[in-house]
Amino acid sequence: MAVIDHEAELARAGANVRGPLSSILFFARSYPLGALGALIMLAFVATAVFADAITAFDPLTTNAHDSLAPPGDRHTLGADFMGRDVLARIIYGARISLAVGLGATALGCLGGMIVGLMSGYFGGWLDLTVQRLMDIMQSLPLLVMALVMAASLGPSLTNTIIAIAIPLVPNVARVIRSSTLALREMPFVEAARAVGMSETRIAITHVLPNTLAPLIVLATAQLGSAILVESALAFLGLGVPEPHPSWGRMLSESAAEYVRTAPWLVIFPGVAISAVVFGTNLLGDAIRDMLDPRQRF
Amino acid sequence: MRARLALGTVVSALAATLAVTPALAQKQGGTLRIYHRDNLPSASIHEEATVSTVQPFMAVFNNLVLFDQGKRLNSLETIVPDLAESWAWDPTATKLTFKLRQGVKWHDGRPFTAKDVQCTFNKLTGKDTEDDFRRNPRAIWWQNLKEVAVNGDHEATFVLNRPQPSILSMLASGYTPIYPCHVKAQTMRTNPIGTGPFKFVEFKRGDTVKFVRNPDYWKPGRPYLDAIEWKVIENRSTRILAFVSGEFDMTFATDVTIPLLKDVTSQAPKAVCEIAPTYVSTNLIINPAVAPFNDPKIRSAMALALDRKAFVDILSAGKADLSGVMLPGPEGLWGMPPEVLQTLPGYGGDVEKNRAEARKIMEGLGYSEAKPLKIKVSTRNIAVYRDPAVILIDQLKKVHIDGELEVIDTSIWHAKVTRGEFSVGLNLTGVGVDDPDVNLYENYACSSERNLTKYCNKEVDTLIDKQSSETDVAKRRQIVWEIEKRLAADLARPIIFYDRQATCWQPYVKGFVLHHNSIYNNWRYEDVWLDK
Amino acid sequence: MGAYLVRRFLLMVLTLFGMSVLIFVMLRLVPGNITDIIFDSAGFVNPAKKAAIERQLGLDQPIVTQYITWMAGLARGDLGYAFVSEKPALDEILPRIPVTAKLAVLALAFSVLFGVPLGVISAVRQNTGLDYVLRVVSLSGLSLPSFWLGLLILMACVHWFGWIPIYRSSPDNFWQEIALLSIPAAAVGFRSSALVMRLTRSSMLEVLRQDYIRTARAKGASEPSVNYDHALRNAVLPVVTVIGIEAAFLVGGLIVTETVFNIPGVARFLVEAIRWRDYPIVQNLVMFIAIIVVMVNFIVDMAYAALDPRIKYEE
Repeated sequence: MAVIDHEAELARAGANVRGPLSSILFFARSYPLGALGALIMLAFVATAVFADAITAFDPLTTNAHDSLAPPGDRHTLGADFMGRDVLARIIYGARISLAVGLGATALGCLGGMIVGLMSGYFGGWLDLTVQRLMDIMQSLPLLVMALVMAASLGPSLTNTIIAIAIPLVPNVARVIRSSTLALREMPFVEAARAVGMSETRIAITHVLPNTLAPLIVLATAQLGSAILVESALAFLGLGVPEPHPSWGRMLSESAAEYVRTAPWLVIFPGVAISAVVFGTNLLGDAIRDMLDPRQRF
Repeated sequence: MRARLALGTVVSALAATLAVTPALAQKQGGTLRIYHRDNLPSASIHEEATVSTVQPFMAVFNNLVLFDQGKRLNSLETIVPDLAESWAWDPTATKLTFKLRQGVKWHDGRPFTAKDVQCTFNKLTGKDTEDDFRRNPRAIWWQNLKEVAVNGDHEATFVLNRPQPSILSMLASGYTPIYPCHVKAQTMRTNPIGTGPFKFVEFKRGDTVKFVRNPDYWKPGRPYLDAIEWKVIENRSTRILAFVSGEFDMTFATDVTIPLLKDVTSQAPKAVCEIAPTYVSTNLIINPAVAPFNDPKIRSAMALALDRKAFVDILSAGKADLSGVMLPGPEGLWGMPPEVLQTLPGYGGDVEKNRAEARKIMEGLGYSEAKPLKIKVSTRNIAVYRDPAVILIDQLKKVHIDGELEVIDTSIWHAKVTRGEFSVGLNLTGVGVDDPDVNLYENYACSSERNLTKYCNKEVDTLIDKQSSETDVAKRRQIVWEIEKRLAADLARPIIFYDRQATCWQPYVKGFVLHHNSIYNNWRYEDVWLDK
Repeated sequence: MGAYLVRRFLLMVLTLFGMSVLIFVMLRLVPGNITDIIFDSAGFVNPAKKAAIERQLGLDQPIVTQYITWMAGLARGDLGYAFVSEKPALDEILPRIPVTAKLAVLALAFSVLFGVPLGVISAVRQNTGLDYVLRVVSLSGLSLPSFWLGLLILMACVHWFGWIPIYRSSPDNFWQEIALLSIPAAAVGFRSSALVMRLTRSSMLEVLRQDYIRTARAKGASEPSVNYDHALRNAVLPVVTVIGIEAAFLVGGLIVTETVFNIPGVARFLVEAIRWRDYPIVQNLVMFIAIIVVMVNFIVDMAYAALDPRIKYEE
């Protein structure tokens, strides 16, 4: 099997092919900013997973006496208009953001991968048609596309994920297609063909695994932008609906009402979004440097 | 305008008359700058049912009669002449004749005549099929109007099927301007022409609406202002910031919520802010056609689960009013006093006791904490709808009902509700005039298009007609309360509360009086002047 | 080159045609139409009148007929009438373009003015403390929701200056308008400047490693001259590309920024029109944006080709 050796690639890119712990240490030493990003992401994922254990407050329970309570002993980060604990909502909101970020990215990447692989590997009229379709989708800004999608699908968590995922497809498809094009002509693919493997099987077992590196680079970059698009959609009234505590909606709705009266409602969810997106960006940069050292931006 | 209200002060004086301090000489000139809260759909007051259209465009028009712009509370007694100089009922109380003002001109120079009055009401009653309104949301107001007869150019007679004293209240509302005969309905939506103190200049959608002084206005010396300029700012915190920083002379009607009011009064301590009822109720709609809500027991368990005080405490810092169908006092003229209200099911007594009773009902039907009734609570995707819906779900949980919030896009909310595609919903209902005819016919009469739950009880319909023809106010009030009791027993759209919010203006804005039992009737702006 | 141009142009037309079909169909998949909206604001629905309005607006026609009507109108230069305002769609769209255009140009200018120099500095000082700081700042630029940044700016202005930098409908003169727009432009441009900076940095780094730079150094050219004359000139190319990409991203940033700062431009108008299901406005406006984006990409491709002789005119 002539699959390009992944570890060898990594080693060439400067990564260390040793035990997991020392690899992590090596990564942290070579990419301190990336390690910071990884740490932020880890904290974010942990928050999402262990939300119930972290906070005693229920993010949905309303309480008249705590309406717009400022940060203090009872509510560490204050309470919103309905007396719901902001910290609890941010903690549970991590789940929503994670769901939206990961869901949309995974869906978008999967779609893009299938489209890109088919179009790059099989070529011909399929490639031409698909490329035109991607052109069309890319001639609209991501947010505009997501906006129309979100409006037509209606407000729900799943629909928000789909609305954000679809505009991601062309970006991913482009990258996968171009690396597939190059891989198609590689000797090991020729070899597989000579052995009599079916084209579909070659595409899946030999070509696909070798497109993963650029895909990972792209996916980390999209994760952050998916979270940002959700917050922008929420700001425009089309994001994840109540009762889910979405950071984007928390921020945009209190921004619409209480910028001055209760600035903590605007500041903390914004900090949460920015921190997580910042983390994905740092991590994404480091991964890009590691996997694809030629493209350093 | 001496009556500056400090935060939290409730107007207690019934029918407080506000005389403009005579010592102050009104100044001519200046532009009144107001912000608008959203994109208004069209300029045609008759085709809309929102203060978004009434507040800017009322200044373009005149009515036949009008609620006194200088008195806080609207009632049959505060109706003053506008295009009609005088009016009189015939002995059968079914013919109301108006003597019209002479020499009044439309903004395009054509003379105003009785024909215009006739045309306006032909459209409202659906007699004019040629140039129809696209929508006629208040058709029910004029169901008792047989025709408008014209006698010469300056006399018009309203012929009614049966006596209806309240027709004057409806004529006096900001919702009932007189439209010109010679202008098409379509033009009225985009370039309205009226006889009023201000001429329409331009309407840039989502941006500005401009009006200038009508130099030929029939009322001598009015208006004082040279122009009114509206600017649309959809983000509430942005627009309140803009008001606080002096960018605007006045806020949109009832735009300042109770929590925001604190901020406004501390940042702009000189601003005049008045808290008044919005006459918009937050209510529960239950679809009796859908199982299991066809079971009156479930409906009454839901009503018993409501803790109205908690809603009021959370959503308006305790300022909003617990009430039945009619707005309660001191502002509302027809609402039940608290001691009567207490006797309605779900209003009185201890919440915990009510809920225990509700749980017993639910348990009798086989539900329990472990096995709750799962329902969807539908509401519109706007914060003022969603917030109370979240509280409602919270409260229903306590009586073995597990509600899931279903937010419905604003564009299809009414369509869905009208088609009955909901089981439980949370809704907001605005009432144009503090008058039982307006409120009861619109929302509870079998034939009303705006009766969202299609509640229909023939006995109640008869009672509504009965109170409508009653001329004695005290007797009429008794019938209204009787209707309220029936509506509460039938759980027809249980009212959770009537909201209160503040309207603010800069101290140099003079001659403006905020009405306290309607938000739709005091936007003529002809007496407003700027003391700068 | 001529054949390439023609091919490129034909592809562009094809893309736009596809776009028109896509947006047309998608819009009609959005639940509810204008009649639902206007009845919603009236608080009730009258099915007979609703149907009458649909007939009047041609919404009862088969979708293909509606599409042909739209295209035929476009061919005549007639964009139809806006559903909500009942004015010609063109009269609604055109007056809103200048303000958005000014904002976009200012934002782009901001991103280049900050992005390029900072990118160069960061590359020349690679792996120094300054480089790290600049990289973190640029990354944070890509991490802030732009409406949040706008809000923080608004809050700060009111808090410290008692003045709110939202748009006024009638600025006294051109310069006052530019001054008013510069704050939102900075809020949008911050993101783009971060991208420009990162790209400038990486392409500078690549160029600095090239042979001819080493040669120049070996020949004794002074360090600033190497960095700025030789390297920067060659690093500019990819920056041109990113400006092309950013043109599309910018529209997204403009939508939220116009909303925050209450600027009556086309971007915010688009969101508004989607909410109102105002088909003539949305479909024409989306086509307009698509044309701009496609054109900018076309021009960028051409500029790229003209600047870099290594590019062959084939795909």
